[in-house]
Amino acid sequence: MHREIRDHIENVLAGSEPEHLAGCEECCSEVQGMQEHTALLRELRAPESFVAEPRAGFYARVMERIESEGPISIWNLFIESAFGRRIAVASMALAILLGVYLVTSERSADDPMIAGQQAQQQPLVVVGEDGPARVIMQMDQSPAGQSSEDAVLADLVTYREQ
Amino acid sequence: MDGSIGILPFPLAGEGTRARPRVDHKNSDEAALVRRVQARDEMAFREIVERYQSKVFSIIYGILRNRNDAEDIAQQVFAKVYFSLKNFDFRSSLLTWIYKITVNECYDYLRKKRVRKLVYESDFSQEDAQRMEASEPAIDGAVPADTRLAQRDLILKLLSKVSEEERTLILMKEVEGHSVEELAGMTGLNENTIKVKLFRTRQKLLKAAGRLTRIR
Repeated sequence: MHREIRDHIENVLAGSEPEHLAGCEECCSEVQGMQEHTALLRELRAPESFVAEPRAGFYARVMERIESEGPISIWNLFIESAFGRRIAVASMALAILLGVYLVTSERSADDPMIAGQQAQQQPLVVVGEDGPARVIMQMDQSPAGQSSEDAVLADLVTYREQ
Repeated sequence: MDGSIGILPFPLAGEGTRARPRVDHKNSDEAALVRRVQARDEMAFREIVERYQSKVFSIIYGILRNRNDAEDIAQQVFAKVYFSLKNFDFRSSLLTWIYKITVNECYDYLRKKRVRKLVYESDFSQEDAQRMEASEPAIDGAVPADTRLAQRDLILKLLSKVSEEERTLILMKEVEGHSVEELAGMTGLNENTIKVKLFRTRQKLLKAAGRLTRIR
């Protein structure tokens, strides 16, 4: 919309017709759209026949509601607004995912069957600095580093000799 | 009781616009009333309810066209006013502030009931149903009631696409019929700012309508 119309849009919508409007199709079309919306907005006026009086005892009912509701808490923001509810749902979903992950990861660390299977599936190949290569089959590894009892050490050289 | 806006000290239309002194919302009768409520004077709150209940009621009815819903939402509006009045900062008039709360409550209600349901029969008020029955065919050139309902549905939907402040301003201008000067006095904003905000709102409504037409 051109400045000639934009600067006086309220007057134009109120009925004034500047010369520019007759020659500018763009402005004319926008003003027409705005006029249509103005007419629609005016439809939101309560009809003149409407008696804008609530039923008797309105104040008492307002006070009842106030007493039943209590002051607005911060939680109302989450419960009442759509955005707040989305945040609450997303946070709960995240918390559940985190919980599931923590439980499953702890269980797999604690379970000797699972840990043993993992160890069996992953033999360590150690290349000795001053000797032949050795394979260590690690069955279990305690946190204190007592791997000697549980690990099976196979000397490849010995194995070949046998 | 009359809760009309006539009781408020609005500047008269037709006076010089730029040099007009700003309305001091901190030192009005209304401000004294608000301070009494803030000091937990229940009688003062009762006065506010009685002063504005008609206004609030007619704003809600204008938007929703359902008397029962209007009563329910009006109660909710005044409950919100009661709890929020301690934060009222006197930057605008009390009516502007209550108007904004009222329109927001209407939109909350519409959101909860899903705006589209407005045109379904289950959501019609009795008055709407009667008007609709009597409207076929439109003889006197008047728009049929079902078309008017659809148009109201459309404008409410378009208004949901602008900010709360813009929505309040355009409704106060077009529905309540306040002039730019009056709006400046009520909101504590400069007249040019009001004009710019109104223009932007109108443009946003046009764009939203364009998008809606493309979708349909």
